[in-house]
Amino acid sequence: MEISVKTKENITILELDGRLDTTNYNEIEKKFDELIGNNQINILVDCEKLDYISSSGLRVLLKSLKSINSAKGKFILCSLQENINEVFEISGFTSIFQIFKNQEDAIENF
Amino acid sequence: MNKETITIRNDISELEKIVQKLEFIEEKWELSPKIIFNLNLALEELISNIIFYGFDDDEEHEINISFEKEKTLLKILISDEGKEFNPFNVSVEEELDKSVEEREIGGLGIHFVKKLMDSFEYNRVNKINNITLIKNIN
Repeated sequence: MEISVKTKENITILELDGRLDTTNYNEIEKKFDELIGNNQINILVDCEKLDYISSSGLRVLLKSLKSINSAKGKFILCSLQENINEVFEISGFTSIFQIFKNQEDAIENF
Repeated sequence: MNKETITIRNDISELEKIVQKLEFIEEKWELSPKIIFNLNLALEELISNIIFYGFDDDEEHEINISFEKEKTLLKILISDEGKEFNPFNVSVEEELDKSVEEREIGGLGIHFVKKLMDSFEYNRVNKINNITLIKNIN
């Protein structure tokens, strides 16, 4: 998986490309911990190019959401592919996370 | 022949071999990307459980996976020589109703298997754990 990071105003945008699974979830966990440690707590995760996610990936997203919520920041997701959206629905995660169709819509909600 | 098999070691990096095998059978049996996605998820969740919790020693162990295509069904068998453990006895339904603050993630992987496969079964024969999954590929 590749992670590219950019900043727009006070929002940190992470674009994920590839697979987020048991073999590599610690890479993104480290990234989130680093951002939260630097008080960058307005985070948008763009999943347009994320092809696959398993429970290990979901666990990291949930953990980061909890940390950011308690720091009074915002953690938003956008552009989920159909298969991934289904995994979110089955997990009950669609009611826990704020999820938007695209980056533009997501940015408006910060 | 409508059967494919793969043997992996009890090491998490071996999951990559399953991804490659699934890409191979996707092409060979002309399966949809959605079915492959679901199979990949079910296999990763079950096999990572076996790798993380199935063995008490530090020895190398084999996990065997076979895929069999029978008309409109795909049958997957996962066998290992680890501790006796039925993954389908774990319940997470209650967990799904909890709020974000209360939510724990354990068991979610097995919930995916139950939701995404058409049938799932566990048995133990001669000290071998066998998980059988069936997916309708029509």
